[in-house]
Amino acid sequence: MRRDLAMKRRLMAPASVLAAAALVLSACSGGDSSTSTSSDAGSDTGNDAASGEAVTLTLAGWSLATTPEFEALADGFMAANPNITIDVEDYDVNNYETQITADLAAGVAPDIYTVKQLMTFPTFQEGGQLMDVSDVAAEISPDVATLEHYEVDGITYAVPYRADAWYLYYNADLFETAGVEIPDGQWTWEDFDQAASDVTAGLAAAGNTDALGNYQHSWASTVQGFANAQGQGDGEFLEAEWDYMVPFYEEALARQAEGSQVDFGAITTNSLTYQGQFGTQKAAMMVMGSWYVATYLSQVESGDAESFSWGFAPVPQQTTETAENPVTFGSPTAMGINPAIDESKVSAAKAFLTYIASEDAAIALAEIGITPALTNDAVADAMFAKDGMPTDDLSRFAFTTHQTALEVPLGTDSPGLQTVLGDAHTAIMSGSVSPQDGIAEAMERAKSEVLD
Amino acid sequence: MATLTLERPTTPRPLNRPRRRGRTLAGRIALYVTLAIAAAAIMLPFVWMVISSLKTNNQVFSIPIQWIPDPVVWENYLDIWTKSDMATWLRNTLILSVTVTCLQVLTGSFAAYGFAKTRFPGRDVLFLAYIGTIAVPWQAYMIPQFILMSRLGLNNTLWAIIALQAFSAFGVFLMKQYYESIPDELCEAARIDGLTEYGIWRRIVFPLSGPAIATLVLLTFVNTWNDYLGPLIYLRSPEIWTIQIGLKSFVSQYNAEYALIMTGSVISVLPIALIFLLGQRYFVQGIATAGLKG
Amino acid sequence: MAVPVLEKPAAAPAPPPRRKPGQRLKVRNAVIGWTFILPNFLGFATLTLVPVLILMYLGFTSWNAFGQATWIGTENFQRLITDKTFHTALFNTFYYAAVHIPLTLGISLGLALLLNRKLRGMGFFRTVAFFPYITSIVAIAVVWNMLFSPDSGVINQFLMWIGIDNPPGWTTSTDWAMPAVIIVGTWRDMGYYMLLFLAGLQAIPGELYEAARVDGANGLRRFLNVTLPCLRPTTFFVTVMLTINSFKIFDLILVMTDGGPGTATLVLSQYIYRKGFEEYDFGYASAVAIVLFLICLVVTIVQFMVNKRRER
Repeated sequence: MRRDLAMKRRLMAPASVLAAAALVLSACSGGDSSTSTSSDAGSDTGNDAASGEAVTLTLAGWSLATTPEFEALADGFMAANPNITIDVEDYDVNNYETQITADLAAGVAPDIYTVKQLMTFPTFQEGGQLMDVSDVAAEISPDVATLEHYEVDGITYAVPYRADAWYLYYNADLFETAGVEIPDGQWTWEDFDQAASDVTAGLAAAGNTDALGNYQHSWASTVQGFANAQGQGDGEFLEAEWDYMVPFYEEALARQAEGSQVDFGAITTNSLTYQGQFGTQKAAMMVMGSWYVATYLSQVESGDAESFSWGFAPVPQQTTETAENPVTFGSPTAMGINPAIDESKVSAAKAFLTYIASEDAAIALAEIGITPALTNDAVADAMFAKDGMPTDDLSRFAFTTHQTALEVPLGTDSPGLQTVLGDAHTAIMSGSVSPQDGIAEAMERAKSEVLD
Repeated sequence: MATLTLERPTTPRPLNRPRRRGRTLAGRIALYVTLAIAAAAIMLPFVWMVISSLKTNNQVFSIPIQWIPDPVVWENYLDIWTKSDMATWLRNTLILSVTVTCLQVLTGSFAAYGFAKTRFPGRDVLFLAYIGTIAVPWQAYMIPQFILMSRLGLNNTLWAIIALQAFSAFGVFLMKQYYESIPDELCEAARIDGLTEYGIWRRIVFPLSGPAIATLVLLTFVNTWNDYLGPLIYLRSPEIWTIQIGLKSFVSQYNAEYALIMTGSVISVLPIALIFLLGQRYFVQGIATAGLKG
Repeated sequence: MAVPVLEKPAAAPAPPPRRKPGQRLKVRNAVIGWTFILPNFLGFATLTLVPVLILMYLGFTSWNAFGQATWIGTENFQRLITDKTFHTALFNTFYYAAVHIPLTLGISLGLALLLNRKLRGMGFFRTVAFFPYITSIVAIAVVWNMLFSPDSGVINQFLMWIGIDNPPGWTTSTDWAMPAVIIVGTWRDMGYYMLLFLAGLQAIPGELYEAARVDGANGLRRFLNVTLPCLRPTTFFVTVMLTINSFKIFDLILVMTDGGPGTATLVLSQYIYRKGFEEYDFGYASAVAIVLFLICLVVTIVQFMVNKRRER
């Protein structure tokens, strides 16, 4: 008796282990067959959908308490489609990719999810985690920017709703104190360097030693984004031929050495934030993405930022030739449909994707300060009607007119290349290696480890 | 130790006594001064947290660092309760920490007895498997584990974290090592007295392992309380967020409410500090062995 | 049931009457042993052991977290041989572990001995020593980074004050970033391991110290002849945990330097995370995890054997 029991016990443990192993292995090897599990996540709505009327769609967004864009899109859509409910699920903004990857792998991801970084799009697309939405793409306005990036072999897999671009922000009050002309929309990088140095000197002469001419945040994109957009030849990025980045680094280091912007080491060791530096008048200029417009306005309201006369201009160019249609870089954000979605909900999901790229949605986004993928005069009016927005023509020009290159050119190797370049950025900016050596080292690493 | 020194009037060297006492006093003062300085240095990051919690967001990070907030934003300590679900987060975290700690202590110490005081083939290999899993970084097997949890229907419930943390190899290992320092003779004697192995565990070994259990309770509690990655992956609905996850909701894509994050961090440290202050009383030499040799 | 019974006679045809009681005792012991372990083992096996075993399998595949994991044999491991960044991460991990382990071991044991007294206020100081471990790691990273700041940081100002003209750049320098991380790592972990040592010290019977004292042994002697041998199970536990945790160091590096400048503080755990969640190369990430696991396993087995030998 007792022996019998012993054996049972002894066998039970390994048996349960085996059963569990089988469970997971089947999941790891059969991603597509996992539709059954996702349907029970939305089973409460399944019946309703079958009866033909009300549909509930789930949507992955992030930091809902502080990011109004998802609710704005959902509300706008639900107002026009009363039989469809959009449930926004909250993800962590800094770990969105980790969370959504786990959800997709386990087959429990929402019906519609946001492709937060364009760079991860190839992974989701190749992994079979995005539904073909070419019919949606055919319906939406051709003015929607960056749609082409979500197309692979003639098939569209996601629809962008916002397209941030980088501007040159400036504090007109500090320029005035320093006695320097504010940006006129014709600046090259040399003009920019000169202004940074003049403003720093002018402010010091006027007795303001707290503020510098420029603030350049510690991110790699503040150098590499511009190099990729303005300095790159055809496809050099994806081939890891990065010599074009060297002059951009030399300029950044020169500004740092001259003291017209805070030194990289000081930024990282003191965890400086760009919102704090520009918002509390520690810098007269800053290149930053268009999202900062909304951030600054809300910070002024909450008292975290000071109120001063400000504006934004197109980013400095390589030459004045491109001043008519300035080249900047940006990063689109898109939404796609999870292929594991219940069959009955697909048309509703597609209707939502059509909506997010519409003018109505664009205006709704512009009203909360977000740069939509679709820009026209109506959208610009909505954007600049906000309280506290600059009213000058140059700011409006910067918003409406630019060619947006990608922050990181797109390919399957992009994430790997970006990791290598991220390491190079900290090494160069901290002064551990010269730009030439740092870039050369990164190119070698990329070629031997990332590209095959 | 000090009491021992004072207890020694019977030492056959009475001449030493005054000098000894003087030295101990001086030594003790020196000890306290050293400890106080070290304590101040060690507490610096916490002090910084407290100071930052009284600033506005953009003042938290600036050069040079502002050691005295101006203005002092006491409102942060009020705002955090109205701006967020702090109470819910604290409740969830408390539920998790208590449940996990209880389960970990019970199953861990029970299993530890099996490893420390019984002998059977394969025991050491099994034990190595336990330790072996500690050596694998969690982020490497996170996805397979997540898939498994979803299949079991546990993700997005508090059960996921309980299941994840309650059976960790750490507790088994800790308790096993402590049990090994309890003399086998004690168990032998109990066996002769007719106690079953379960009886020995319940009546003798478990009660004797006070300090080890206190350690396990403290460490498990703290680890569950401060766990970030586990809840991040498994707890998605705001109503089951823990405090560490909740604090991250003050971070948005392009901005962060640093002052509130620091306020929340200060609040979240206090309960553990209190529990520690109470729990550490079990670490006074002599308690454990009082019953052992009697 | 049938398997062991059939096996035994074949393996040993020796006198059956003698063996039977032994055999029964063995089974009985096994039953008892397993009943103790089972409640914990069931949870541990399904939720931890299985995913770890699957990871071992994934190390031999190419997998992007979605769809099919393709078996590619030892290809991942061959790639590791020529992967220079992996070598850097491996070196940095050993660097961190080699300095951090002895340093933390010494300091935490010292702290435990110092604070294991019945003096007034010891509870407070123990709590203080444990504080770094419970303070939010983000706050820790921020404050230490400020202290280490090359120009405005307190540490360098102090170093210059005592006459060092060229103080290190700490987290902004490729040579000094790792020492900076090790200092913070040790500072953070010392309270944790101190606690484990404190628990171990409680198991030492006070009578042993009394006896040693009567024999005229001085403090050092008592430490060497009483404290250390009695503390052996605890020391073993602390050493194994400290070793594994040092090789697995992740969160502290992530918040303090993120592996930089360049790859100066890139460690294996972080490399695994990057390869997995940033580059979606989960097969390769699993292979790196297996290497990390093997390193820890070898070191642990060595410690296990040393411990067994000392036990005798």
